Parts: sequence; structure tokens; C-alpha cells
Amino acid sequence: MSHDYLLLTIFLAIAIVFPLIPLALAWLWARFLSPAKPGKDKQSIYECGIESKGPARIQFQAHYYLYALVFLVFDVETVFLLPFAAIGFVKISVASFLAIMVFLLLLVESLVWAWAKGVLEWK
Amino acid sequence: MNTAFQLFKYLTPESFLAETAFFVLIAGLFKSTASRRTMLLSLTLLGGLASIAWIALHPENIVICHGMAVIDPLTRFIKIAIVGLSLIACVYAAASNVREHLAEYLALILFSTIGMMLLAGTEDLLMIFIALEMTSIPLYILTGYLKKSSASAEAALKYFLVGGVSAAFLLFGLSLIYGVTGCTALQDLAKVPPATFRDPLFLAGVVMAMAGFGFKVAAVPFHLWAPDVYEGAPTPSAALIASGSKVAGFLILAKLLIYGLYQARGSAVWAAMQPGWLPMLGLIAAASIIVGNLAALSQSNVKRILAYSAIAQSGYMLLGLMAADKTGLSSVLFYVIVYALTTLGAFGVCAIVEQRRGGSQLHHFEGLHQSAPGLALCMGVFMISLAGIPPLAGFFGKFYLFAGALGSVTKDGHMGLLWLLIIAIAFNAVSLYYYLIVLKHVFVIPPAAEPAPRSPRSAAGTLVGLLAIAIFTLGIYPGLLLDPIHNAVKTAAWLASPHPQPKTLPGITK
Amino acid sequence: MPTALFPTATLLSALAGILLILILPSRWGGAAKWIALLSALTGFGFAVAAFRAYDLSAAQPIQFQLDLPWVEALRIHFATGTDGVSLVMLLLTGIIAITGVLFSWNVTQQPRAFFALFLTIIGGVYGVFQSLDLFLLFVFYEIVIIPKYFLISNWGSTNREYGAMKLTIYSVAGSALVLLGILGIYVLAPGAALNLQSLAKVTFPHSFQLWAFPVMFIGFGVLAGLWPFHTWAPTGHVAAPTAVSMLLAGVVMKLGSFSALRVAMTLFPDGLAAWRMPLAILATIGLLYGALVALAQRDLKFVVGYSSINHMGFVLLGLLTLNSLGLTGAVLQMFSHGVIGGLLFAVVGRMLYDRTHTRDITTLGGMGLAKALPFAAFTFTLASAASMGMPGFSGFIAEISILLGAWKSFPVLLIFAMLGAGVTVAFTLRALQRSFFPSLAAAQSAAAANPHATEPLPPITLPERLGAAVLMAATLAAGIFPKFLIDPILHSFESPQSLMHHLIQGVTR
Repeated sequence: MSHDYLLLTIFLAIAIVFPLIPLALAWLWARFLSPAKPGKDKQSIYECGIESKGPARIQFQAHYYLYALVFLVFDVETVFLLPFAAIGFVKISVASFLAIMVFLLLLVESLVWAWAKGVLEWK
Repeated sequence: MNTAFQLFKYLTPESFLAETAFFVLIAGLFKSTASRRTMLLSLTLLGGLASIAWIALHPENIVICHGMAVIDPLTRFIKIAIVGLSLIACVYAAASNVREHLAEYLALILFSTIGMMLLAGTEDLLMIFIALEMTSIPLYILTGYLKKSSASAEAALKYFLVGGVSAAFLLFGLSLIYGVTGCTALQDLAKVPPATFRDPLFLAGVVMAMAGFGFKVAAVPFHLWAPDVYEGAPTPSAALIASGSKVAGFLILAKLLIYGLYQARGSAVWAAMQPGWLPMLGLIAAASIIVGNLAALSQSNVKRILAYSAIAQSGYMLLGLMAADKTGLSSVLFYVIVYALTTLGAFGVCAIVEQRRGGSQLHHFEGLHQSAPGLALCMGVFMISLAGIPPLAGFFGKFYLFAGALGSVTKDGHMGLLWLLIIAIAFNAVSLYYYLIVLKHVFVIPPAAEPAPRSPRSAAGTLVGLLAIAIFTLGIYPGLLLDPIHNAVKTAAWLASPHPQPKTLPGITK
Repeated sequence: MPTALFPTATLLSALAGILLILILPSRWGGAAKWIALLSALTGFGFAVAAFRAYDLSAAQPIQFQLDLPWVEALRIHFATGTDGVSLVMLLLTGIIAITGVLFSWNVTQQPRAFFALFLTIIGGVYGVFQSLDLFLLFVFYEIVIIPKYFLISNWGSTNREYGAMKLTIYSVAGSALVLLGILGIYVLAPGAALNLQSLAKVTFPHSFQLWAFPVMFIGFGVLAGLWPFHTWAPTGHVAAPTAVSMLLAGVVMKLGSFSALRVAMTLFPDGLAAWRMPLAILATIGLLYGALVALAQRDLKFVVGYSSINHMGFVLLGLLTLNSLGLTGAVLQMFSHGVIGGLLFAVVGRMLYDRTHTRDITTLGGMGLAKALPFAAFTFTLASAASMGMPGFSGFIAEISILLGAWKSFPVLLIFAMLGAGVTVAFTLRALQRSFFPSLAAAQSAAAANPHATEPLPPITLPERLGAAVLMAATLAAGIFPKFLIDPILHSFESPQSLMHHLIQGVTR
């Protein structure tokens, strides 16, 4: 048992050290070979070459969140439908078919509700 | 018979509620008028009553899918109680100041109720988690329903975060239990050899699972969400949280601990403690009683007082659960239902006062005995019942709880749980102070401003009155509720009977 | 009505009174006092009828028994029955109920609520004195607590909110101790359920009795004014309106001592033997302490409040003497002090304070009360004489019995008790003299200091006269012809079938 864990420990150590080496090298390079010399043009925000004007912050549109929610729900529904589609059509019983249809109908009804409440409109 | 068919057939009450919820959602898409609110409420009540009728008319005894869902007299009784309590919360919701999105509010209450019913009717670890989440998530939304109130948003966030963390703990704990014992069904857990229960991983799993349940019933140290949620949430949501989810939570905790983990119970007898869930429950109960009662003493908002009192009452109920036999479960179920009715009534009064006076701080209740004497009397009944003063139901419930717990570990005159009883009774006496403070403001302190004119009756007011009458009746004749509970608990084969009664009295007969 | 139901009828009359008052519309609020009076009279009538129907020759002292199943799951029954001691207490309750209503005839603020709460307390007190089931006894014991809070905080006088809360919290704390004992009894003797008669036959484990007895005795003692748990009493009595003070001193404190006798002393003989001396010492300290503190008071109601502590100290001492003289004296003192305390509070509260709006004895001295309110002076003199233990009044028989009983059991404590009796004379006479019959110089200086001194005072009304007459008649009757009370009491203790028989024979069975 100690043999297995020893290997694992060595692996863990290497896994931690391995990414740290380039980081350490980069830090050393930045410190000794290319120290920071900030300037006004160098620190300005990149906006595809154009002069940037106005504040960098834009208000987050809450609608993105609502879309993500609705997407998530139907995405999970798709995941649940996958096994049913792959195997179920041939081998499933009536009751299970009924169960998956009920599931589908419930989600369709929630889509109808969301539609009627105006969630799907971008304002 | 195919398992899926079984599920459809035997979970019809839950389906009724689901269908009602969807009908209500669709009905809510039309234009909002006052009569439409009544229509929504009637639809909800119809669906709920149909569900109750179905449960009452179909006495069955069946275990579906190796414990996923269980229909027996005990679960049927508790499901009826849960639906009844939710319907009362629905009436409050319709009568409250939730103006827009009432349909969604009612639908969410119904979804949470479905979760509670599934929680009450399950004997499988995985299903416990699913049902618990299904109960909690609509409650998070219901807590944050008042969009313009920052207290509501804060309450919802706190509830969600604490709930999320405890759900994570619960799941991890349940999976540890599964990992050690290899079974998810409670009936299999009950048959695991006791040696397995000494595994430290298993004990860790039980403690973590307790974190999840402790959150649901607001026991210390998982209680920090309760004061803010009870205060900030719209009153019908707080009423539902305080009543229905507690009933389901205690039943499933009882099932998990007494059915599944009976052999791991240990002992909480003073100076003879053994490792298991009994001493853990004892500590949590003692802490809840102490913290809940002490913290309530300095509150100035009636809903916060009710929250801390809920924490303390959970402590008493956990104490009753420690009896781990038929008496213990009966006493806990009796008390939790009585407590749910009392809290619903108290929140109803708070809701009405909030609507008329604009808040539920103590000073908003001043002069209530002049402007609404019936309501003031009802509040008196509720507060005195919560304090455990006869002849109301709360006193009998506490007496039964304490007697059951004390009697379960009494041998040869030594009462093992006496230490816990002393704490419970002492702090129960302390609790009268803050209940009396509320009543002082209601009955004694004259109102600062002009006394409000007599307010008209409302549906919520009538409901509050009925609840007060129920509490009073149950106090005079507790058999009304106790006998059905006893009949339901008698059939639970997994519960031990209490100590057999001796035929002769231990002493000299004259 | 069969005689067996007479004691229960006292309960029912109180209940009927409450219900009738509650359905009165608010503009007929004045009728509430008539309903209350009728209910009190009916209750007293039934108590007297039961008293007369009591069979002194029966072997079983507990008569008029009623047993109805109540909560079958815990085998709790609505079991009531009375013996001689209970009957004497029921009589006392009836008298206090009637006179309490009479002395509250002038209540105009929310009369319906006042009399409904008053009758609730009366009903609860009737219930405690008849209960044979511990759960039922506890239910009635606790029913009394909440109405007291509202009566004092709404209709009381000095410091009423503080006094009401203090009284209530103390009462609940005492009840919590009692509940602990009851739960212990319940789980240790499951076959007997909570029926007192069955429980009296059970021998409880010695270790249990050693802690359960003091816990229950002190729990009941809180309400009975056991020193040092008595501090709610002076504040509470002073804050309370007159009728409630009469109730408190008259019957509610007796609930504590009666229940201590009926429950703690009957069920735990071993515990009693072990704790007898310390508790007797506490009783004597309370006796002396109450008297000494009363000697220093300036507020007349505080004098009477502390005299209650003094008299209850006698009761508790008498209970602990464990011989028939002392025990009989204790029960007689319960009756006697109930009546006398009621009379004293009635005079101070209703006759004096409602008219003069002061209770300071020096200020009262300046008002020439002997001339202005001769009936009040007469009543207070009589009550003071009774309180001092003057022969001819009930207090004498009671106190002499207790002292003689104490001579047999606690000869050393007897000295302190007699000292206490002496100080009682001192503080009573001081209060009487300074308030009603001051010296000329004291009267003149007090009158000069008080601008309202010479205002005319309204005369004593008829209800007050009737109430005072009833109380004075009661104390005189018990003082001149105590046999009618002593016979039932002795019968309850000396019957071989009595549950309390072991108390007069020494402690062990």
C-alpha cells in the first residue's frame, strides 16, 4: 500500500512543481531582464487600435442571465432525453414512455409560461 | 406491475398538486383583477382539497421501488397535515400584499408542498436529498419575493447560501453513509451489522447529514438563517417555512435516525454516554433551547421573536425525538402539528398588523385590543400556547414530549435524560417573558397615536380565529389529534414500543 | 343535582360566569359585575352545600369523587374529589370570590375583561383544591398565572408593569420546578398514571425523593411565599388592584401551601424527613423577616403585603410540624389568613386608596380618617386585631395550634416564631395607630404638609360594607366556633384511609 501512495505522492509533487517552473522563470526574467517601464500610451486600454473613450464599464444586461437560465433548463432536458432517444424507442414500456412524455410536457408548459411572461423578448 | 405505473398510481396526490400548480400558472397569465385573485385561490384550494381527499380515500400499504416512496397510515396522515398547512399559507398569500405575480407565488407554494410530501413519504437516502432540495428551492424564491424590499433580498440570499451549504453537507454525509454501509434504503440500513457503525467515516457521515437536517428544522448551530428569513420574507412564505417544512423535516429525521440508524444510537444518559446520534441530538437540542430562548429576550420585532422561538421549539422537539420509540414519535408529531398551527396563526396576525400598521415591530401591535379585539385575543391564545401554559395545546404537547423523553431511559429510578429535561423546563419558564412582552404590547400599552378604528373582517382574520379555536380545543381535548396520530404510529413496524407498563405498583399497597 | 357533583358545580359556576360575561355586548358592560356576583354566590352556595353534605363518620375522607377519562393515551383522568381540608379551602375561595366582586363594584375600565379574568382565577383555584389527578392539578395551577398578569398590568397601581411581570415570572419558575417533579413521578410510577390516590401507595426510590421533595416543595413554596423566594409578593400585592390583592393573598398563596401538603408531603415521606428541618428554618426566617420588614414600611399596602409573608410563614411552619395540632393549625391559618388578608387589603386598597390616593401612613394620619371614614376605621381595627392573633378571631386558634405543634417538633424554632408573633403585634399596631389614630402633633404636621388633607372623602358604599361584613363574620365565626372547621380537617388527617395519615404519625410509613 505504501508503494502505491508513494508513487502518487511523487506524482503530486511533480504535478505541482512542473507548472511552477515556467512561472518562476517568467518572474525572474521580468525582474531582471525586462523591468516595467510604464508609459501613458503603453498602459492605455486596447480597443482594436482605436483611441478609447468613455468609461470601461458597461452595465450588465440582466437578460443574459434569463437566457442562460432558460437555456440551462432545456439543455438539461436534452440530456435527459438522450438515453430515451438512443435506446428507449425500441425497448421501453408504455409507462416509462408516459413518464418521459409527462416530463417533456411539463417543460413545454414552462416554456409557454416563459413565453407569455415576456422572458424571451429582448428589451 | 411496472414500477413506473406504480409511481403514477400511488403518487397521485402529488400529481394533483403539480397539475393544480400548472393550471394556476396558466391562469395567472391573464389580466390581473381582484376577482382573478379569488379565482386563483379557489383553484389552489380545490386542487389541495382534491389531493387530501385522494389520500384519505385510498388507504394503502405499499413500498414502491425498495423504499423510494412508501404509502402507509403514518405517511398518509402527515401528507394530509402538510397539504392542509400549505393551503392555509395559500390563503394568507392571497390575502396579503403580494400584488403582482400571485399565481407564481401560489404555484411555488404548491411545488414546495410536493417536495414536502415526497420527503414525508420516502425511505431512501437519495430520495431524501431530492425531496429536501425540492422543498427548499421554491422556499428560497418565496423568501425573496418582495422585489422592492432589501430585507427580503437579504433574507433570500442568506437562506439560499446557508441552505446550499447544508445541502452540500447533507449530500456528502449521505454518500459517506452509503459508502460505508453499501445501501441507500433505510430498510437495508436497519439490517446492517452494528460493527459497521463504529467506523469513523460513518460517524462523520451521520454528523454531516445532521447538518442538513439541522438547517431544515432550524436547530443550533445551523439556525443563523432563521431570524433574518422570518423577518425579511413576506409573511405567507415565513408561515410556510415555519410550519410545513418543519413537519416534513421532523418526520424524515425521525425515520432516518430511528428506522435506519437505530443501532447506531448510542446513549445520552448523563455520566454514561455512548457514541451515537443520541448524544449528538441531545447536545443540539440543549443548545437550541438555550440559544433560542436567550436570544429572543432582547428582540423588538415580533417576527424575529417568532424565529428565535422556532429555534427553541425545535430544541424541544429534538428532545422528544430522543425517546426513539412510538411515544417519542407520537409526541413529536403532535407537537410539531400543534406548533405549525400556532405559528401559522401568529404569522397571520403579523400579516394583518403589517398591512394595517405598516410593520411588525412591537410598537405596531400597541392598541390592538381596541382596534381588533378578536385578533388580540387570538394572538393571546397563540403566545400562551407557545409558552406552554395550560389549558392550551402547547402545554399538553410539551408535557407529552418531556414525559416521553424522560420515560424512555428510566431504569430503577435513575432518569438518564434528567439533565436535558432540567434545561428544557428551565428555559421554557424563561420563554414566557418574551411571549408576555408581545402580549403586553397588544393588551396593556396604550397606543402612541390615535387608536385605529375597528378594522373590517377579512379572510385571513377568520382563518386566524379558526386556528385559535383549534388550539384551544386541542388543549382541552388533545385526543382529537392524538388518537389519529397514535393510530398512524401504531402501524409503523419499525418503531419500538415504549417500556412495557408494570402490572403492579412498585411499593407497599395499603 | 347529586351531592357528588357539588364541588364540581363550583367550577361550573365560575365557567358559566365567564361565558356569560364574554357574550355580553360592550354597552352592557355594567352587567358584568352582577353576573360575576351571581357566579360567586352560586359557587359559594355549592361549596357550603358540599360542606354540609360531608360525612364526618365515613372511613374514606375523600368524598364527592368524580373520575372521567380525559387523555387516554397518557391515562390522564379528570379526577376530582374533596376531603375536609379541600372543603375548608373551597369555602374560603367562595368567600373571597364574593367579597372580591363586592370590593370591585367601582371598576369602570373594561369591566367585562376584568370580571372574566377574575372568574378565571377563581375557577382555577376551585379546580386546584379539588383535583385528584396531578396533571389536572397542574393545569388548574397554571391557569391562574396569566390572568394575574393582565389584571395587575391593566388595572393595577404602583409600578404595575414591573410588579406584574415579576409576579408572573416567579410563578412560572415555581411551576417549572413543580413540572420537573411531576414528570419524574410520571415516569417512575407508570402503572399509577398521575392519580394521587394510586400514587400515594407507591414507594418512590429514596434517591429520587431526596431531590424531588425539595424541588416540588420549593416550587409550590414560591407561590406560598416561602423565604427567600417570596420577593414577588410585596411588589405584586402593592401593584395589584384591590380585588386581585385579595385574591392573591387570600387564595392564590394558599394554592402553594395546599399543593405542598397534598402533593409533595403526601407522596414523598422520605424526602420530607430529610428536608424537614432546613425548610422549617426557612419558614421561621420568613415569619420573622416578614414581620421585621413590615415594621419599617411607610406604605400601608406594603405593611399588609409583608404581613402576608409573615402569616404564610406560620402556615409553612405548621405544615412541617407533622403532628395533628400543627397541621390542623396550618390549615386553619390558611383559612384565617385568607379572610383576614382579604379584609386588610380591602380596607387599604378600596376604602382608603381609592378615596385618598395615598397609602403613606404618615400622610393618612393627617386626614383624620377616624372621623371621616368611621366604618373603615372600625373595620381596620377589627382586622388588625384578627391579624395580631387576638382571641375571638380565627387567627388566634390557628396560631396557637401551630405554636403548640411547633413546641412538640421544633422547640428552638418556636422561640423565634413567638418572637415573630410579637413583632406582628408591633407592626400592626404601628400601622393602625399612625394611619387612623395618630397623636395630635403628628396629625397636625401631616395635615400641614398635605394640601388635600381636609378634603371631604366619599362615604363607604353599600357593596363595601357588605363585603367587609362578610369577611368579618367569617373570621369571627371561625374564631368563636372553630369546631365546624376543625372537625372536617381532623377527619381528613386522622382517618386510617387518609392519604395524609402518615403525616401525623411521624414520617415513615
